[in-house]
Amino acid sequence: MTNSKIEQLRQAKEQIKLGGGAKRIEKQHASGKKTARERILSLLDEGSFVEMDAFVKHRCTNFGMENKEAPGEGVVTGYGTVDGRLVYVFAQDFTVIGGSLGEMHAAKICKAQEMAMKVGAPIIGINDSGGARIQEGVDALSGYGNIFYNNTIASGVVPQISVIMGPCAGGAVYSPALTDFIFMVNQTSNMFITGPAVIKTVTGEEVSKEELGGAMTHNKVSGVAHFISNNEDECIEDIKRLLSFLPSNNLEDAPIYQSEDTMNRLSERLNDIIPANANKPYNMKEVITEIADNQDFYEVQPYFAQNIITGFIRLNGQPIGVIGNQPKILAGCLDINASDKAARFIRTCNAFNIPLLSLVDVPGFLPGVSQEYGGIIRHGAKMLYAYSEATVPKVTVILRKAYGGAYIAMCSRHLKADVVLAWPTAEIAVMGPEGAANIIFKNDIQGSNDPLATRSEKITEYRDTVANPYVAASRGYVDDVIEPMITRQRLISAFDMLATKRESRPAKKHGNMPL
Amino acid sequence: MKKYKITVNGKSYEVEVEDMGGSMDTASPQIVKPTTAPVSKPVPPVTTAAPVQKAEPKKAETPKPVPQGAETVEAPMPGTILDIKVSQGDEVQEGQVLLVLEAMKMENEIVAPRAGKIAAVNTTSGAAVDAGDALISLE
Repeated sequence: MTNSKIEQLRQAKEQIKLGGGAKRIEKQHASGKKTARERILSLLDEGSFVEMDAFVKHRCTNFGMENKEAPGEGVVTGYGTVDGRLVYVFAQDFTVIGGSLGEMHAAKICKAQEMAMKVGAPIIGINDSGGARIQEGVDALSGYGNIFYNNTIASGVVPQISVIMGPCAGGAVYSPALTDFIFMVNQTSNMFITGPAVIKTVTGEEVSKEELGGAMTHNKVSGVAHFISNNEDECIEDIKRLLSFLPSNNLEDAPIYQSEDTMNRLSERLNDIIPANANKPYNMKEVITEIADNQDFYEVQPYFAQNIITGFIRLNGQPIGVIGNQPKILAGCLDINASDKAARFIRTCNAFNIPLLSLVDVPGFLPGVSQEYGGIIRHGAKMLYAYSEATVPKVTVILRKAYGGAYIAMCSRHLKADVVLAWPTAEIAVMGPEGAANIIFKNDIQGSNDPLATRSEKITEYRDTVANPYVAASRGYVDDVIEPMITRQRLISAFDMLATKRESRPAKKHGNMPL
Repeated sequence: MKKYKITVNGKSYEVEVEDMGGSMDTASPQIVKPTTAPVSKPVPPVTTAAPVQKAEPKKAETPKPVPQGAETVEAPMPGTILDIKVSQGDEVQEGQVLLVLEAMKMENEIVAPRAGKIAAVNTTSGAAVDAGDALISLE
């Protein structure tokens, strides 16, 4: 008797495991996609996955839904471990009614979110869904709303990672948008509020799905997504890599690894990386990799607003969030997108106790009508806000240019950086020598017999007296001027010293960050 | 009762206007302040008046037709062209420096977005360019 009941259970579970059935699974595979279960199993440590709510069923009786079986309700949820650390996970199952989201589908996701918050574990959501289950009407909308609410409540409590491995359209996009990181797979994932068909009827614009909301579009143009992978396997590896830099929740420190790289490794390369001509670009990423443990740099949003670089490195095993100006792109100036990208990254790091390293070579904010109309004031303010608000250890290295408002914005002493170092090539001033000379020495230049010669004389004079790190150092705005080759050593020492940093803010509901 | 003589397209019309006692103007939002005294009620439209040309519905701007497979490399920000490193017909590799744009006190290297052949160089050395200006067409 009991045996037959156990047999029944086994069969039921086998049935649920098959999702939408062999035929649909085959179709999923044919389009270069894995099934929900395969994705979860490839992400989690072998044998660690524990499924929850496999028996959940929808309650819809409209439009013939009462006879429609939806194994697992179109979403697989549960927990397991990645590199031995607990994570919660949910994966929408496209083979079951197109992965469409109804009341109970959403309830499964919400339960996973709530459990993740309760135990303080990251939650990874794999999205592959046609959208709301229309038959369920307003109950489906309620489901979305509940997920969004949970996303918001969990924000800054546990890392939330969204993975787009198929369609994610309409309101559904807002769950990923509310999370910390979005991964997309090239050619097989899409995100948009309104699809190409609707856009065509409303505005007449013709655009392909890929062009409108493909992985590259969101990684490069819109800045919605943070990572792009060529295929699902690569994507899963990237998620694991990201998790290695993040703590499980906001009360933990980021995981420190045993470093194989020597703490005191000197880098001769850094001594001559800055070109003699201050107007020549170089690649800031080289500086980052020179400093990092094992030259390993995991870049976040590598294709969006490339004039600023964001990403993770380790210094003596400790995860560090790096923000660096990229002189190679747009001269490394700050613009609307760069400000948004940096501000978001700074806040992500601060929320999860990851110290911040800022590498400064910034000529200023990008001038232009479109920037002003676009609200560079409002967007640039986010960076100032994010840096000022951050209480994690903040270390800044000024490599070369640090002018005007952009100098202040790049985690200067004035925004309460804990340690500010400068290379001897640093030019910390209110503006560049050329512009400054024109203003300060206007009369000398105009009254001269040879204005051009006088001007270049005065530029040199300005550069020598003001555009260097020593004026700032004489005020204590810069703690030390260092030889570039010892940067790694000094940074490790600084972050080690700051490990016990405590800084509190006045009690408030929340600040009013400019958005 | 007031009488007005109104000329529209050379034709004269006599219009009688009666003041009904004040409440009329409150119908319009407060902020509308006519600068001159209104001629009270608007005159009924006269058919001979040419109808105002209705603005053509603006079509979504379609990008300039680019020859099959050609791609323009645009100036990312306003500046001066310092040096052009390629000429028409050259084969370039992805990432190869096409030209140098001085902007924001920096000699910015503008690189090829992909491998291809230079179809045209649309700028000259020393030229001041604006953001979005076409610099090079890549075949």
